[in-house]
Amino acid sequence: MIVEALAEFLTLGELGGVIVNGLAKSALYVMIASGLTLIFGLMGVLNFAHGSLTMVGAYLGGLLMVVTVTGGTAPLTRLGLFFVAIVVVFALLTMLGGAIETTIIRPLYDRPPIYQILLTFGLTLVIEEVVRIVLGVYGLQPLSDWQAALATKPQFLREPVALGPVSAGWMSLFQILLGTVTVLGIWAFLTRTRYGLYIRAGSEDAEMASALGIDVRQVFTVVFALGIGLAGAAGTLLMWDPTWGASVPLAAETLLPAFIVVIVGGLGTFRGTVVAALVVGMADAVTTWWFQNAIEFTGLPELVLFLVLVVTLIVRPQGLFGVEEVGGH
Amino acid sequence: MSLLELDGVHTYYGDSHILEGVDLSVEAGEVVALAGRNGVGKTTTLRTILQLTPPREGSITFRDESLVGLETHEVAERGLGWIPEDRRMFSQLSVEENLRAAIPDPDDVRDGLRLAFDSFPILEERRGQDAGTLSGGQQQMLAIARGLVGDNDLLLVDEPSEGLAPQIVADVAEALSKASEEVTMLLVEQNLPLALDLADRFYILDKGCVVDDGETAAVTADDERFRRYLSA
Repeated sequence: MIVEALAEFLTLGELGGVIVNGLAKSALYVMIASGLTLIFGLMGVLNFAHGSLTMVGAYLGGLLMVVTVTGGTAPLTRLGLFFVAIVVVFALLTMLGGAIETTIIRPLYDRPPIYQILLTFGLTLVIEEVVRIVLGVYGLQPLSDWQAALATKPQFLREPVALGPVSAGWMSLFQILLGTVTVLGIWAFLTRTRYGLYIRAGSEDAEMASALGIDVRQVFTVVFALGIGLAGAAGTLLMWDPTWGASVPLAAETLLPAFIVVIVGGLGTFRGTVVAALVVGMADAVTTWWFQNAIEFTGLPELVLFLVLVVTLIVRPQGLFGVEEVGGH
Repeated sequence: MSLLELDGVHTYYGDSHILEGVDLSVEAGEVVALAGRNGVGKTTTLRTILQLTPPREGSITFRDESLVGLETHEVAERGLGWIPEDRRMFSQLSVEENLRAAIPDPDDVRDGLRLAFDSFPILEERRGQDAGTLSGGQQQMLAIARGLVGDNDLLLVDEPSEGLAPQIVADVAEALSKASEEVTMLLVEQNLPLALDLADRFYILDKGCVVDDGETAAVTADDERFRRYLSA
Protein backbone atom coordinates (compact mmCIF):
# COMPACT_ATOMS: atom_id res chain seq x y z
CA MET A 1 0.00 0.00 0.00
CA ILE A 2 2.84 2.35 0.88
CA VAL A 3 4.52 1.59 -2.44
CA GLU A 4 1.33 2.31 -4.36
CA ALA A 5 0.87 5.56 -2.46
CA LEU A 6 4.47 6.53 -3.19
CA ALA A 7 3.94 5.90 -6.90
CA GLU A 8 0.83 8.07 -6.83
CA PHE A 9 2.58 10.77 -4.77
CA LEU A 10 5.39 10.99 -7.30
CA THR A 11 3.13 11.64 -10.28
CA LEU A 12 3.47 15.16 -11.64
CA GLY A 13 -0.13 16.07 -10.88
CA GLU A 14 -0.06 14.96 -7.23
CA LEU A 15 3.44 16.23 -6.49
CA GLY A 16 2.68 19.57 -8.13
CA GLY A 17 -0.54 19.86 -6.17
CA VAL A 18 1.30 19.13 -2.90
CA ILE A 19 3.96 21.74 -3.74
CA VAL A 20 1.34 24.43 -4.50
CA ASN A 21 -0.51 23.47 -1.33
CA GLY A 22 2.76 23.62 0.63
CA LEU A 23 3.63 27.04 -0.78
CA ALA A 24 0.17 28.32 0.14
CA LYS A 25 0.55 27.02 3.69
CA SER A 26 4.04 28.56 3.82
CA ALA A 27 2.61 31.89 2.67
CA LEU A 28 0.06 31.81 5.47
CA TYR A 29 2.69 30.83 8.02
CA VAL A 30 5.02 33.59 6.92
CA MET A 31 2.20 36.13 7.12
CA ILE A 32 1.21 34.92 10.59
CA ALA A 33 4.81 34.84 11.82
CA SER A 34 6.33 37.91 10.16
CA GLY A 35 4.86 40.37 12.68
CA LEU A 36 5.94 38.17 15.55
CA THR A 37 9.47 37.78 14.20
CA LEU A 38 9.85 41.56 13.88
CA ILE A 39 8.75 42.08 17.49
CA PHE A 40 10.30 38.98 19.04
CA GLY A 41 13.37 38.82 16.85
CA LEU A 42 14.33 42.47 16.68
CA MET A 43 13.12 43.75 20.04
CA GLY A 44 13.32 40.59 22.14
CA VAL A 45 9.73 41.11 23.28
CA LEU A 46 7.61 37.98 23.71
CA ASN A 47 4.21 39.12 22.48
CA PHE A 48 1.68 36.52 23.52
CA ALA A 49 -1.11 38.82 22.30
CA HIS A 50 0.02 38.33 18.68
CA GLY A 51 -2.56 35.62 17.96
CA SER A 52 -5.36 37.68 19.52
CA LEU A 53 -4.47 40.66 17.38
CA THR A 54 -4.47 38.40 14.30
CA MET A 55 -7.98 37.36 15.34
CA VAL A 56 -9.01 41.02 15.73
CA GLY A 57 -7.65 41.63 12.21
CA ALA A 58 -9.78 38.75 10.90
CA TYR A 59 -12.93 40.21 12.43
CA LEU A 60 -12.14 43.78 11.36
CA GLY A 61 -11.39 42.65 7.81
CA GLY A 62 -14.57 40.60 7.84
CA LEU A 63 -16.57 43.55 9.10
CA LEU A 64 -15.27 45.79 6.32
CA MET A 65 -16.13 43.16 3.72
CA VAL A 66 -19.58 42.40 5.12
CA VAL A 67 -20.44 46.11 5.22
CA THR A 68 -19.21 46.87 1.68
CA VAL A 69 -20.04 43.70 -0.27
CA THR A 70 -23.57 42.85 -1.36
CA GLY A 71 -24.89 39.84 -3.25
CA GLY A 72 -24.55 41.72 -6.51
CA THR A 73 -20.95 42.90 -6.04
CA ALA A 74 -18.79 41.73 -8.96
CA PRO A 75 -15.91 39.30 -8.19
CA LEU A 76 -13.16 41.72 -9.15
CA THR A 77 -14.80 44.49 -7.09
CA ARG A 78 -14.85 42.08 -4.13
CA LEU A 79 -11.16 41.44 -4.68
CA GLY A 80 -10.46 45.17 -4.81
CA LEU A 81 -12.45 45.74 -1.62
CA PHE A 82 -10.48 42.93 0.02
CA PHE A 83 -7.20 44.71 -0.75
CA VAL A 84 -8.66 47.94 0.63
CA ALA A 85 -9.73 46.01 3.74
CA ILE A 86 -6.20 44.62 4.20
CA VAL A 87 -4.72 48.14 3.96
CA VAL A 88 -7.29 49.61 6.35
CA VAL A 89 -6.86 46.79 8.89
CA PHE A 90 -3.09 47.08 8.61
CA ALA A 91 -3.32 50.83 9.30
CA LEU A 92 -5.75 50.44 12.23
CA LEU A 93 -3.77 47.64 13.87
CA THR A 94 -0.52 49.55 13.33
CA MET A 95 -1.97 52.48 15.26
CA LEU A 96 -3.25 50.11 17.95
CA GLY A 97 0.19 48.48 18.16
CA GLY A 98 1.86 51.87 18.55
CA ALA A 99 -0.52 52.74 21.37
CA ILE A 100 0.06 49.39 23.11
CA GLU A 101 3.85 49.75 22.90
CA THR A 102 4.02 53.28 24.22
CA THR A 103 1.54 52.80 27.06
CA ILE A 104 2.09 49.32 28.47
CA ILE A 105 5.08 47.59 26.82
CA ARG A 106 7.66 50.39 27.07
CA PRO A 107 7.67 50.63 30.87
CA LEU A 108 8.64 46.94 31.04
CA TYR A 109 11.76 47.01 28.83
CA ASP A 110 14.13 47.16 31.78
CA ARG A 111 12.42 44.31 33.58
CA PRO A 112 12.85 40.53 33.16
CA PRO A 113 11.01 38.88 30.19
CA ILE A 114 8.46 37.28 32.52
CA TYR A 115 6.84 40.70 32.93
CA GLN A 116 6.30 40.99 29.16
CA ILE A 117 4.98 37.43 29.00
CA LEU A 118 2.49 38.01 31.80
CA LEU A 119 1.43 41.40 30.45
CA THR A 120 0.87 40.24 26.86
CA PHE A 121 -0.85 37.08 28.10
CA GLY A 122 -3.16 39.27 30.16
CA LEU A 123 -3.72 41.43 27.09
CA THR A 124 -4.79 38.30 25.20
CA LEU A 125 -7.44 37.55 27.81
CA VAL A 126 -8.73 41.12 27.70
CA ILE A 127 -8.86 41.24 23.88
CA GLU A 128 -10.62 37.89 23.61
CA GLU A 129 -13.19 38.84 26.23
CA VAL A 130 -13.90 42.18 24.54
CA VAL A 131 -14.33 40.40 21.18
CA ARG A 132 -16.71 37.87 22.78
CA ILE A 133 -18.78 40.71 24.26
CA VAL A 134 -18.99 42.54 20.92
CA LEU A 135 -19.90 39.32 19.10
CA GLY A 136 -22.58 38.65 21.70
CA VAL A 137 -24.10 42.08 21.08
CA TYR A 138 -24.43 41.27 17.37
CA GLY A 139 -25.55 37.68 17.95
CA LEU A 140 -22.47 36.03 16.42
CA GLN A 141 -21.05 32.74 17.63
CA PRO A 142 -17.48 33.27 18.93
CA LEU A 143 -16.40 29.64 18.53
CA SER A 144 -17.45 29.10 14.91
CA ASP A 145 -16.21 30.83 11.77
CA TRP A 146 -18.02 33.99 10.72
CA GLN A 147 -19.84 32.66 7.67
CA ALA A 148 -21.08 36.05 6.45
CA ALA A 149 -17.47 37.22 6.16
CA LEU A 150 -16.44 34.01 4.42
CA ALA A 151 -19.33 34.48 1.98
CA THR A 152 -17.86 37.75 0.70
CA LYS A 153 -15.14 35.77 -1.06
CA PRO A 154 -15.62 35.83 -4.85
CA GLN A 155 -16.75 32.55 -6.38
CA PHE A 156 -13.67 32.10 -8.57
CA LEU A 157 -11.45 31.89 -5.44
CA ARG A 158 -13.38 28.79 -4.45
CA GLU A 159 -12.67 27.02 -7.72
CA PRO A 160 -9.71 24.97 -8.91
CA VAL A 161 -7.42 26.03 -11.71
CA ALA A 162 -5.43 23.71 -13.99
CA LEU A 163 -1.71 24.45 -14.24
CA GLY A 164 -0.81 21.82 -16.84
CA PRO A 165 -1.26 18.48 -15.07
CA VAL A 166 -1.43 20.16 -11.68
CA SER A 167 -4.77 21.08 -10.17
CA ALA A 168 -4.57 23.92 -7.63
CA GLY A 169 -7.04 26.22 -5.98
CA TRP A 170 -7.23 29.89 -6.96
CA MET A 171 -7.22 30.63 -3.24
CA SER A 172 -3.86 28.88 -2.86
CA LEU A 173 -2.38 30.98 -5.67
CA PHE A 174 -3.87 34.11 -4.09
CA GLN A 175 -2.29 33.24 -0.73
CA ILE A 176 1.08 32.57 -2.36
CA LEU A 177 0.87 35.96 -4.09
CA LEU A 178 0.07 37.82 -0.85
CA GLY A 179 2.73 35.91 1.10
CA THR A 180 5.34 36.76 -1.54
CA VAL A 181 4.34 40.44 -1.55
CA THR A 182 4.55 40.49 2.27
CA VAL A 183 8.03 38.93 2.31
CA LEU A 184 9.34 41.25 -0.41
CA GLY A 185 7.79 44.28 1.30
CA ILE A 186 9.34 43.52 4.69
CA TRP A 187 12.69 42.63 3.14
CA ALA A 188 12.74 45.88 1.14
CA PHE A 189 11.75 47.90 4.21
CA LEU A 190 14.47 46.38 6.37
CA THR A 191 17.27 46.46 3.82
CA ARG A 192 16.45 49.33 1.47
CA THR A 193 15.16 52.10 3.74
CA ARG A 194 16.89 54.32 6.27
CA TYR A 195 14.39 53.33 8.93
CA GLY A 196 15.05 49.66 8.25
CA LEU A 197 18.75 50.35 8.78
CA TYR A 198 17.96 52.00 12.12
CA ILE A 199 15.82 49.02 13.12
CA ARG A 200 18.61 46.54 12.37
CA ALA A 201 21.22 48.70 14.10
CA GLY A 202 19.01 49.35 17.13
CA SER A 203 18.09 45.71 17.53
CA GLU A 204 21.75 44.67 17.52
CA ASP A 205 23.09 47.32 19.91
CA ALA A 206 20.55 49.82 21.20
CA GLU A 207 23.09 51.75 23.28
CA MET A 208 25.49 52.29 20.38
CA ALA A 209 22.63 53.20 18.06
CA SER A 210 21.49 55.85 20.57
CA ALA A 211 25.01 57.25 20.73
CA LEU A 212 24.85 57.68 16.94
CA GLY A 213 21.73 59.85 17.31
CA ILE A 214 19.13 57.17 16.58
CA ASP A 215 15.99 57.43 18.70
CA VAL A 216 15.83 53.75 19.60
CA ARG A 217 12.62 54.03 21.62
CA GLN A 218 10.85 55.47 18.59
CA VAL A 219 12.35 52.74 16.41
CA PHE A 220 10.99 50.05 18.74
CA THR A 221 7.56 51.70 18.74
CA VAL A 222 7.55 51.56 14.94
CA VAL A 223 8.69 47.91 14.93
CA PHE A 224 6.00 46.90 17.42
CA ALA A 225 3.33 48.86 15.55
CA LEU A 226 4.28 47.33 12.19
CA GLY A 227 4.39 43.86 13.73
CA ILE A 228 0.84 44.26 15.02
CA GLY A 229 -0.25 45.74 11.68
CA LEU A 230 1.11 42.64 9.93
CA ALA A 231 -0.74 40.41 12.40
CA GLY A 232 -3.96 42.22 11.48
CA ALA A 233 -3.30 41.93 7.73
CA ALA A 234 -2.63 38.19 8.16
CA GLY A 235 -5.92 37.88 10.05
CA THR A 236 -7.82 39.49 7.19
CA LEU A 237 -6.34 36.94 4.77
CA LEU A 238 -7.19 34.05 7.11
CA MET A 239 -10.78 35.30 7.33
CA TRP A 240 -11.31 34.12 3.71
CA ASP A 241 -9.68 30.72 4.27
CA PRO A 242 -12.25 28.07 5.27
CA THR A 243 -9.66 26.08 7.23
CA TRP A 244 -9.04 29.10 9.48
CA GLY A 245 -11.88 31.67 9.31
CA ALA A 246 -12.74 34.53 11.67
CA SER A 247 -13.41 33.08 15.11
CA VAL A 248 -12.12 33.61 18.63
CA PRO A 249 -10.12 30.33 18.66
CA LEU A 250 -8.15 31.72 15.69
CA ALA A 251 -6.02 33.52 18.30
CA ALA A 252 -4.62 30.30 19.74
CA GLU A 253 -4.62 28.51 16.37
CA THR A 254 -2.27 31.12 14.88
CA LEU A 255 -0.09 31.90 17.91
CA LEU A 256 1.41 28.42 18.18
CA PRO A 257 2.45 28.03 14.51
CA ALA A 258 3.80 31.59 14.58
CA PHE A 259 6.07 30.83 17.52
CA ILE A 260 7.14 27.53 15.94
CA VAL A 261 8.11 29.26 12.68
CA VAL A 262 10.02 32.03 14.50
CA ILE A 263 11.90 29.56 16.72
CA VAL A 264 12.70 27.12 13.87
CA GLY A 265 13.97 30.00 11.71
CA GLY A 266 16.08 31.38 14.52
CA LEU A 267 15.45 34.38 16.72
CA GLY A 268 16.47 37.69 15.25
CA THR A 269 16.39 36.77 11.58
CA PHE A 270 13.63 37.53 9.11
CA ARG A 271 15.37 35.36 6.50
CA GLY A 272 15.18 32.45 8.96
CA THR A 273 11.45 33.01 9.41
CA VAL A 274 10.86 32.88 5.66
CA VAL A 275 12.87 29.66 5.27
CA ALA A 276 11.23 28.13 8.36
CA ALA A 277 7.78 28.96 6.98
CA LEU A 278 8.73 27.14 3.78
CA VAL A 279 10.04 24.12 5.71
CA VAL A 280 7.04 23.94 8.01
CA GLY A 281 4.52 24.62 5.23
CA MET A 282 6.00 21.97 2.95
CA ALA A 283 6.28 19.42 5.78
CA ASP A 284 2.66 20.13 6.63
CA ALA A 285 1.51 19.74 3.00
CA VAL A 286 3.49 16.53 2.37
CA THR A 287 2.38 14.83 5.56
CA THR A 288 -1.20 15.99 5.07
CA TRP A 289 -1.23 14.26 1.67
CA TRP A 290 0.27 11.08 3.12
CA PHE A 291 -2.00 10.89 6.11
CA GLN A 292 -5.07 11.56 4.00
CA ASN A 293 -4.22 9.31 1.05
CA ALA A 294 -2.16 6.46 2.46
CA ILE A 295 -2.24 6.26 6.25
CA GLU A 296 -5.66 7.81 6.83
CA PHE A 297 -4.92 9.53 10.13
CA THR A 298 -5.91 13.14 9.61
CA GLY A 299 -4.88 14.36 13.06
CA LEU A 300 -1.23 13.62 12.52
CA PRO A 301 -0.22 16.52 10.18
CA GLU A 302 -0.70 18.98 13.03
CA LEU A 303 1.85 17.05 15.05
CA VAL A 304 4.37 17.57 12.25
CA LEU A 305 4.72 21.24 13.20
CA PHE A 306 5.81 20.24 16.67
CA LEU A 307 8.02 17.47 15.30
CA VAL A 308 9.86 20.02 13.15
CA LEU A 309 10.25 22.24 16.23
CA VAL A 310 11.58 19.40 18.41
CA VAL A 311 14.05 18.19 15.78
CA THR A 312 15.29 21.75 15.21
CA LEU A 313 15.77 22.40 18.92
CA ILE A 314 17.75 19.16 19.30
CA VAL A 315 19.91 19.49 16.17
CA ARG A 316 20.30 23.27 16.03
CA PRO A 317 18.96 24.98 19.17
CA GLN A 318 19.57 28.51 17.86
CA GLY A 319 17.34 27.77 14.82
CA LEU A 320 18.20 27.60 11.14
CA PHE A 321 19.65 31.12 10.88
CA GLY A 322 19.61 32.16 14.50
CA VAL A 323 22.05 34.34 16.38
CA GLU A 324 23.02 33.80 20.01
CA GLU A 325 21.23 36.84 21.40
CA VAL A 326 18.44 39.04 20.15
CA GLY A 327 16.84 42.33 20.96
CA GLY A 328 18.15 45.08 23.12
CA HIS A 329 16.67 48.05 24.80
CA MET B 1 33.17 79.60 27.33
CA SER B 2 34.37 76.01 27.10
CA LEU B 3 32.93 73.66 24.49
CA LEU B 4 32.39 70.99 27.17
CA GLU B 5 32.39 71.54 30.90
CA LEU B 6 31.90 69.07 33.74
CA ASP B 7 31.41 70.48 37.22
CA GLY B 8 31.24 68.32 40.34
CA VAL B 9 29.94 65.25 38.51
CA HIS B 10 29.03 62.24 40.66
CA THR B 11 28.06 58.97 38.99
CA TYR B 12 27.06 55.64 40.48
CA TYR B 13 26.60 52.08 39.24
CA GLY B 14 23.93 50.94 41.67
CA ASP B 15 25.43 51.65 45.08
CA SER B 16 28.99 51.91 43.77
CA HIS B 17 30.19 55.51 43.73
CA ILE B 18 32.37 55.71 40.60
CA LEU B 19 32.83 59.43 39.84
CA GLU B 20 33.27 61.47 43.00
CA GLY B 21 33.06 65.04 41.78
CA VAL B 22 34.80 65.22 38.40
CA ASP B 23 35.60 68.72 37.09
CA LEU B 24 37.04 69.16 33.62
CA SER B 25 36.68 71.31 30.54
CA VAL B 26 37.47 70.97 26.86
CA GLU B 27 37.99 73.99 24.62
CA ALA B 28 37.06 73.98 20.93
CA GLY B 29 39.90 72.71 18.74
CA GLU B 30 41.73 70.89 21.55
CA VAL B 31 42.64 67.27 22.07
CA VAL B 32 42.36 66.57 25.80
CA ALA B 33 43.60 63.28 27.22
CA LEU B 34 41.97 61.62 30.21
CA ALA B 35 44.54 59.33 31.84
CA GLY B 36 44.63 57.10 34.88
CA ARG B 37 44.89 53.50 35.99
CA ASN B 38 42.26 50.88 35.15
CA GLY B 39 39.01 51.30 37.02
CA VAL B 40 39.39 54.94 38.07
CA GLY B 41 36.36 56.09 36.05
CA LYS B 42 37.69 57.18 32.64
CA THR B 43 35.15 55.24 30.58
CA THR B 44 32.41 56.11 33.07
CA THR B 45 33.22 59.79 32.51
CA LEU B 46 32.57 59.39 28.79
CA ARG B 47 29.40 57.37 29.41
CA THR B 48 28.22 60.04 31.84
CA ILE B 49 28.75 62.82 29.31
CA LEU B 50 26.68 60.83 26.78
CA GLN B 51 23.97 60.21 29.43
CA LEU B 52 24.38 56.47 28.97
CA THR B 53 25.08 56.41 32.70
CA PRO B 54 23.49 59.67 33.89
CA PRO B 55 25.06 61.52 36.83
CA ARG B 56 23.28 61.84 40.18
CA GLU B 57 24.93 65.18 40.95
CA GLY B 58 26.81 67.89 39.09
CA SER B 59 26.44 69.68 35.80
CA ILE B 60 27.55 68.84 32.28
CA THR B 61 27.27 71.58 29.67
CA PHE B 62 28.04 71.49 25.97
CA ARG B 63 28.15 74.91 24.32
CA ASP B 64 26.58 76.26 27.50
CA GLU B 65 23.59 73.91 27.21
CA SER B 66 23.02 71.34 29.94
CA LEU B 67 23.19 67.71 28.81
CA VAL B 68 21.90 66.30 32.10
CA GLY B 69 18.47 64.75 31.68
CA LEU B 70 18.66 64.46 27.89
CA GLU B 71 18.31 61.11 26.13
CA THR B 72 21.54 59.77 24.63
CA HIS B 73 20.30 60.28 21.07
CA GLU B 74 19.55 63.91 21.93
CA VAL B 75 23.12 64.34 23.21
CA ALA B 76 24.42 62.85 19.96
CA GLU B 77 22.18 65.18 17.92
CA ARG B 78 23.96 68.13 19.57
CA GLY B 79 27.25 67.06 18.00
CA LEU B 80 28.90 64.62 20.41
CA GLY B 81 30.29 61.45 18.85
CA TRP B 82 31.52 58.31 20.61
CA ILE B 83 34.24 55.89 19.61
CA PRO B 84 33.83 53.22 22.31
CA GLU B 85 36.63 51.07 23.68
CA ASP B 86 35.24 47.77 22.42
CA ARG B 87 34.37 49.27 18.97
CA ARG B 88 30.72 48.22 19.17
CA MET B 89 30.29 47.47 15.48
CA PHE B 90 26.87 46.47 14.23
CA SER B 91 28.35 43.12 13.29
CA GLN B 92 25.46 41.97 11.07
CA LEU B 93 25.45 45.22 9.10
CA SER B 94 27.90 45.82 6.28
CA VAL B 95 30.75 48.30 6.57
CA GLU B 96 28.80 50.78 4.45
CA GLU B 97 25.62 50.31 6.49
CA ASN B 98 27.57 50.95 9.71
CA LEU B 99 28.74 54.23 8.24
CA ARG B 100 25.30 55.16 6.88
CA ALA B 101 23.78 54.60 10.33
CA ALA B 102 26.18 57.23 11.70
CA ILE B 103 25.37 59.92 9.12
CA PRO B 104 22.43 61.94 10.44
CA ASP B 105 21.40 63.71 7.23
CA PRO B 106 20.58 61.46 4.23
CA ASP B 107 21.81 64.23 1.91
CA ASP B 108 25.28 63.91 3.46
CA VAL B 109 25.68 60.15 2.86
CA ARG B 110 27.74 60.54 -0.30
CA ASP B 111 30.19 63.01 1.25
CA GLY B 112 30.32 61.06 4.51
CA LEU B 113 31.20 57.81 2.77
CA ARG B 114 33.85 59.61 0.70
CA LEU B 115 35.41 61.04 3.88
CA ALA B 116 35.48 57.61 5.54
CA PHE B 117 36.92 55.84 2.52
CA ASP B 118 39.55 58.53 1.93
CA SER B 119 40.61 58.22 5.58
CA PHE B 120 40.66 54.41 5.53
CA PRO B 121 40.87 53.04 1.95
CA ILE B 122 40.64 49.44 3.20
CA LEU B 123 37.06 50.17 4.27
CA GLU B 124 36.11 50.97 0.68
CA GLU B 125 37.47 47.58 -0.39
CA ARG B 126 35.34 45.95 2.34
CA ARG B 127 32.29 48.17 2.03
CA GLY B 128 29.86 45.31 1.37
CA GLN B 129 31.35 42.96 3.97
CA ASP B 130 29.64 42.31 7.32
CA ALA B 131 31.43 44.40 9.96
CA GLY B 132 31.60 41.38 12.27
CA THR B 133 33.94 39.64 9.84
CA LEU B 134 36.55 42.45 9.82
CA SER B 135 39.87 42.11 11.64
CA GLY B 136 40.32 43.95 14.95
CA GLY B 137 42.32 46.72 13.28
CA GLN B 138 39.77 47.16 10.50
CA GLN B 139 36.98 47.29 13.07
CA GLN B 140 38.84 50.03 14.92
CA MET B 141 39.22 51.95 11.66
CA LEU B 142 35.50 51.57 11.06
CA ALA B 143 34.75 52.77 14.60
CA ILE B 144 36.86 55.87 14.04
CA ALA B 145 35.39 56.44 10.60
CA ARG B 146 31.91 56.18 12.10
CA GLY B 147 32.86 58.94 14.52
CA LEU B 148 34.28 61.09 11.73
CA VAL B 149 31.27 60.93 9.41
CA GLY B 150 28.79 61.85 12.14
CA ASP B 151 29.11 65.61 11.71
CA ASN B 152 30.35 65.84 15.31
CA ASP B 153 31.94 68.83 17.03
CA LEU B 154 33.37 66.76 19.86
CA LEU B 155 34.54 63.15 19.70
CA LEU B 156 34.74 61.05 22.86
CA VAL B 157 37.41 58.49 22.02
CA ASP B 158 37.87 55.53 24.36
CA GLU B 159 41.05 53.42 24.20
CA PRO B 160 41.46 53.48 20.42
CA SER B 161 44.72 51.47 20.51
CA GLU B 162 43.56 48.73 22.86
CA GLY B 163 44.37 45.24 21.62
CA LEU B 164 45.84 46.35 18.29
CA ALA B 165 49.15 45.36 16.66
CA PRO B 166 51.84 48.11 16.69
CA GLN B 167 51.54 48.80 12.95
CA ILE B 168 47.78 49.19 13.26
CA VAL B 169 48.25 51.48 16.25
CA ALA B 170 50.42 53.71 14.06
CA ASP B 171 47.66 53.84 11.42
CA VAL B 172 45.05 54.63 14.06
CA ALA B 173 47.26 57.36 15.55
CA GLU B 174 47.72 58.91 12.13
CA ALA B 175 43.97 58.84 11.49
CA LEU B 176 43.20 60.42 14.86
CA SER B 177 45.90 63.03 14.36
CA LYS B 178 44.38 63.93 10.99
CA ALA B 179 40.89 63.97 12.48
CA SER B 180 42.00 66.24 15.32
CA GLU B 181 42.56 68.98 12.75
CA GLU B 182 38.82 68.98 12.10
CA VAL B 183 37.21 67.98 15.38
CA THR B 184 37.75 68.48 19.12
CA MET B 185 38.53 65.31 21.09
CA LEU B 186 38.36 64.02 24.62
CA LEU B 187 40.64 60.99 24.52
CA VAL B 188 40.91 58.13 26.99
CA GLU B 189 44.11 56.22 26.24
CA GLN B 190 46.38 53.86 28.24
CA ASN B 191 49.06 54.03 25.56
CA LEU B 192 51.01 56.99 26.98
CA PRO B 193 53.18 57.80 23.95
CA LEU B 194 50.08 57.89 21.76
CA ALA B 195 48.16 60.04 24.25
CA LEU B 196 51.04 62.47 24.71
CA ASP B 197 51.56 62.66 20.97
CA LEU B 198 47.94 63.59 20.27
CA ALA B 199 46.89 65.62 23.31
CA ASP B 200 47.29 69.35 23.97
CA ARG B 201 46.25 69.00 27.60
CA PHE B 202 45.64 66.18 30.04
CA TYR B 203 43.61 65.29 33.11
CA ILE B 204 44.59 62.49 35.45
CA LEU B 205 41.81 60.63 37.20
CA ASP B 206 42.33 58.67 40.40
CA LYS B 207 39.55 57.07 42.48
CA GLY B 208 36.86 58.97 40.60
CA CYS B 209 38.44 62.43 40.99
CA VAL B 210 40.66 64.63 38.85
CA VAL B 211 43.97 64.69 40.74
CA ASP B 212 46.17 66.51 38.25
CA ASP B 213 45.90 68.37 34.98
CA GLY B 214 47.99 70.57 32.76
CA GLU B 215 49.67 71.06 29.39
CA THR B 216 51.05 67.92 27.80
CA ALA B 217 54.45 69.58 27.37
CA ALA B 218 54.74 69.92 31.15
CA VAL B 219 54.26 66.20 31.59
CA THR B 220 57.03 65.25 29.24
CA ALA B 221 59.31 67.55 31.23
CA ASP B 222 58.16 66.04 34.55
CA ASP B 223 57.81 62.35 33.87
CA GLU B 224 57.45 61.43 37.54
CA ARG B 225 54.26 63.48 37.76
CA PHE B 226 52.51 61.12 35.38
CA ARG B 227 54.04 57.86 36.59
CA ARG B 228 52.82 58.43 40.14
CA TYR B 229 49.24 57.96 38.98
CA LEU B 230 49.65 55.64 36.03
CA SER B 231 51.92 52.89 37.40
CA ALA B 232 50.04 49.74 38.36
